[in-house]
Amino acid sequence: MISESLIKKILKSLLKSGGNFSEVYIQKKIANNIKLEDKKIENCSSGYELGCGLRLCFGDITFYAYVDSLQEEKLLNAAEILSSAANSSCSRNVLNLTASKSSYNINIDKYPGEILPEAKKNILLEVDKVSRDYSSNVIQVTSRLLDSEEEICIANCDGVYSFDKVVKTMLAVNVVAKKGKEVRTGYKSLARTCGYEIFNLKSPKAIAEKASRIAVTMLDAVNAPVGTFPIVIGPAFGGVIFHEACGHGLEADAILKDASVFNGKLGKKIANSAITAVDDSTIPYHWGSYKFDGEGHHSSRTVLIKDGILRNYIYDLKTAKKSNKPQTGNGRRQSYKHIPIPRMSNTYIDNGKEEPESIIKSVNKGIYAKEFAGGQVDPVTGDFVFGVSEGYLIENGSISVPIKGATLIGNGPEVLVKVEAIGNDLDFAPGFCGKDGQSVSNEVGQPTIIVSGITVGGTKI
Amino acid sequence: MREDRYKNPETDLVKICKDAASKIEKGAVDEFEIYAASSVQNEIKIYNGDVESLSFSDSNGIGIRVFKNKSVGYAYTEVLDEGKIRDCIERAILNSAITSREKYNYLPKESEFRYKRKKIDSNAIFKEDFLRFSIKDKINIAKKLEILTKGKDRKVVNIDNLVYDDSISEVAILNSSGFFNRYKTTVCIIYINVISKQGEATSTGDCFDCARSPGDLNLEEVSAGAVKKSVSMLGGKKIKSQKVDIILDPLVSAQFLGVIAGGLTADSVQKGKSLFRDKVGEKIFNINLDIIDDGTMASGLATSPFDGEGVPKGKTIVFKNGILNTFLYNIYTARKDSTSSTGNASRASYSSPPDVGLSNFYIKPSSSTLDRLLSLVDNGFYVMDIIGLHSGANPISGEMSVGAKGLWINKGSLEFPVKEATIATDILSFCKSVDMIGSDLKFLPSGGYLGSPSLLVRDIMVGGS
Repeated sequence: MISESLIKKILKSLLKSGGNFSEVYIQKKIANNIKLEDKKIENCSSGYELGCGLRLCFGDITFYAYVDSLQEEKLLNAAEILSSAANSSCSRNVLNLTASKSSYNINIDKYPGEILPEAKKNILLEVDKVSRDYSSNVIQVTSRLLDSEEEICIANCDGVYSFDKVVKTMLAVNVVAKKGKEVRTGYKSLARTCGYEIFNLKSPKAIAEKASRIAVTMLDAVNAPVGTFPIVIGPAFGGVIFHEACGHGLEADAILKDASVFNGKLGKKIANSAITAVDDSTIPYHWGSYKFDGEGHHSSRTVLIKDGILRNYIYDLKTAKKSNKPQTGNGRRQSYKHIPIPRMSNTYIDNGKEEPESIIKSVNKGIYAKEFAGGQVDPVTGDFVFGVSEGYLIENGSISVPIKGATLIGNGPEVLVKVEAIGNDLDFAPGFCGKDGQSVSNEVGQPTIIVSGITVGGTKI
Repeated sequence: MREDRYKNPETDLVKICKDAASKIEKGAVDEFEIYAASSVQNEIKIYNGDVESLSFSDSNGIGIRVFKNKSVGYAYTEVLDEGKIRDCIERAILNSAITSREKYNYLPKESEFRYKRKKIDSNAIFKEDFLRFSIKDKINIAKKLEILTKGKDRKVVNIDNLVYDDSISEVAILNSSGFFNRYKTTVCIIYINVISKQGEATSTGDCFDCARSPGDLNLEEVSAGAVKKSVSMLGGKKIKSQKVDIILDPLVSAQFLGVIAGGLTADSVQKGKSLFRDKVGEKIFNINLDIIDDGTMASGLATSPFDGEGVPKGKTIVFKNGILNTFLYNIYTARKDSTSSTGNASRASYSSPPDVGLSNFYIKPSSSTLDRLLSLVDNGFYVMDIIGLHSGANPISGEMSVGAKGLWINKGSLEFPVKEATIATDILSFCKSVDMIGSDLKFLPSGGYLGSPSLLVRDIMVGGS
C-alpha cells in the first residue's frame, strides 16, 4: 500500500529522538452493511476506510498517532510529532524488513465485492420469510448482513513485515415473538473469516429458524427461580462464561498490573482437573482466526489450562517482552485507530468424556442454560454476571419448562473449581468482545458442562 | 512537543461538503445529504505515576445519503480525494437500488420541525478554555488524580485503569434542499478504577467526570467517588433472596433509565419492539415524575443546534406527572405517525445514516435528599453498582435482571456491604414501583446523555443464596 522505503523512513523518523520500538500499521477496509427490518431492506450502506497508525515506545511508555491518509507528507508529519514528544536517551536502529511467515493459510472463494447487492438482498428476504413462516407469533424480524475486505500491512523496527488480506462475512438475525402480553426475543448469528461461501456451511434458513425457535419457545417461559442451583451450561455460546470470567483475567496486561485473580498462579491448579482450555487463532475460517495478529506476529494455539493447571497467559508484544515470555500472537486491535492490546481469539474449553444427556440426567433440580445474551465481568475480582436468553428448568433428570429473566451471578475462579463434568460435544459461537473501548471479533466455545452451584437471579422464590 | 497542530482543527468542512456536493451530477439522484465530521482526539493513560500511553488523532470523513425514486442509499469514506468521493457517491446510488421504496423517503422540510430554530450558546458546547490546555497540562491533570486517589485511603492498593480522553469535533450537514450548517464541540472525560484490599478481600470501584474543558473536571469528586465505592464494598457478604425496597444510586438509575428509553424511540414503537406502544396518555409511573429529553440544555453533553439530519433540537417532555406524553422522533418516523420531528435523529458518526436516539435524557429531580430516601427504608438494599445490564435487560421483552453490589440498609442506616446479589424485575413493574425521587441528579454519557437522581423503588426481588 506504501513503499518499503517509505515505511523504513517512517520507522526511522519515529526513533529520531530515541525509543526502543517503532511500528507502522496500515489498514484499508471496504465494508458493506445491509439491514432488513419490517419486512423490507431498510438500509444499505458501504464504507471505505484507510489509514495508518504509528506507534513509538520507550520504556513502558507508548505514544500513538493515526492518520486517515497514506500521503507521505502526512505520515512523516505524524511521525515527527510523535518523535518530538519522545525525548528519550535510548536509541536503536531499524532492522531490515523481512516478510513475516504464518502457517495459517486459507482460500477465499466468494469475495463480498463480487456478490451483487441484489443477491445479498435476497439472502435477507429469505431470512425474513423463513423466520415469519416459523410461527404466526413472530411479529418482527431484524436481520443484518455485514461483510468486509481488508488489507493490512504491519512493519516494525525489529524487522517484522507482514501483509494480510482479511475477509469477513456475518449474518445476524433478531426475532421478536408475541403471544398475549408476552413478548420474547431470539437471536442467532453466523460469522466467519471468509466470503459468501459461509452459506455452504450453514444456510440463512437454518439461522433464521433457530432465532425464531428461541423467541417462540421462550413465549411459554415461566419466571426464573431465585437462589443457588446446579447449572448445566450448553455447548457453543455457553463458552462465553469462560471467556468473560476467566479469559480476561488471563490477558497479560491485567496480570502485569496485578489486576487479575490469576496473577502468580502459573503452574498451579486453578480448575477441576478435567478442564483443558485453549486460545487458538489458527482454526481455519473461525471468526476469531487470523494469519497475523495486530502486531504482525503469526497466529498460534496456546494452551491456557491443561488438566486443571494454569499453563500460560495471553500476550501481546509489550507484555511478552516485559514478562520475558514468547509472544502468543494475541496483540489485537480494532483498527488503525487503536493501540494493540492482549486479546483472546477463539477461546474454548476442550472436549471431555461425558455424554451431554447423562450430564442432564444427573441433575435432580437445576437449570439448563442453553443460550446467553452476553455478560460482564470484573477481571480484578473475577465476579461475573450473565444473562440467560434461552434457559430451562431441569427436574428429575430431564429438561422441563423454559424460564425467563434468569441471570447467573458468580465468581470465575470459584466456578472453575465447581465444574463437575465435561461433555464431548464441543462447539463454537461467534461474537464481538469489548475491552478498553475496542471491539474485536472473537469466538467462544465449550462442550456441555455442569457447575455444582451458581446463583440465579430470577424473581420466583 | 508541537502541540499547535493538535489544538485547532483547521479541516474545512464547508469546503469538503461543497466539493462533494458539486460532484453529484444533476439528475443522478432526486435529493442528497452530505454529513461531514472531523475530530482531534487525545487519550492519556496513567499507571504508577507515569504515562502508560498517549495517543493523538486527527481524522475526518463524510457520509452521503441519497434519495432516488423514494429509496435511500448510503455510503461513507474516510479518504476525501476526488476519486474516493466519486466512488462514495456511486456506491450510495447503487445501494439505493436495493432498499425499499417508501413515500416517506425525502429530505426534511421546515414545516415538519417540532421546535423552531434557535441559537444555542456556542460557548456552552465549545469552550475556548479547552484550548488553553497543552498535552502536558492534561498529563498533569491525570497524574494529579492518581496521586489524590492513592492518598485517600490506605486500603487502596492499585489503580489499574486511569484514562483521560478528550476531543474537539466539528460536524457539518449540507443537503440539496438548501440546508447548510455546522457546529463545533469540545469534550473531555476522566475515568479511574480503584482496587482496594483488606485481608483476603479485594474490591474495585470506578468513577468518572466529564466536562467541556479539562479545567472543569472535578478531580476531588472523581477520586472520592471511586475510593468510596471500592473501599465501602470490601468484605461483601451474600444475602438471602428476598423482596425488599431498594435505593438506586443516580448512575445506576441512569442505566435503568437507558433501558426504559429503548422503548421510547418512535422507531422501536413502530416496529412493535416497544412495551410503550399504544400507551401514550397512560400513567406508567405511580408517582408524578417527569422525564425530559432536552437537546438544548446548556450543561448537556448531547447538546447541539441541530440533529443528525439537520432538524433543530428542543426540549421534549416525554413523561409528565408519570403519564407518557410522546415518543421521540426523527423525520422518517414522524412522517409515519403524521407528527413532527422532535430533533432526535442521531448518528454515531459519518459511517451511519440517521437513526432515532436520545439527547440529554433525564428524570427531573425532586427536593428529597438521599438521607431522606434512606430514612424511609426499614430493611433494604442500597445499590451502588450494577453489572451485566447489557445482557440482563431486554428493552423489547421488558425483562431486567442484573448483578448488583452495594450496602444493606437497616432502619434507615447503611450496615454491611453486599456482593453477588441480583436485582430482577421487568420494565413496567419497575416504573410502577418507583416510589420517590431524590435531588441528586447525575449524568452518564452513554448512548446520549442519561441523567437521574437517586430512586427509591419498593418491593424488588433481590437474589442471593
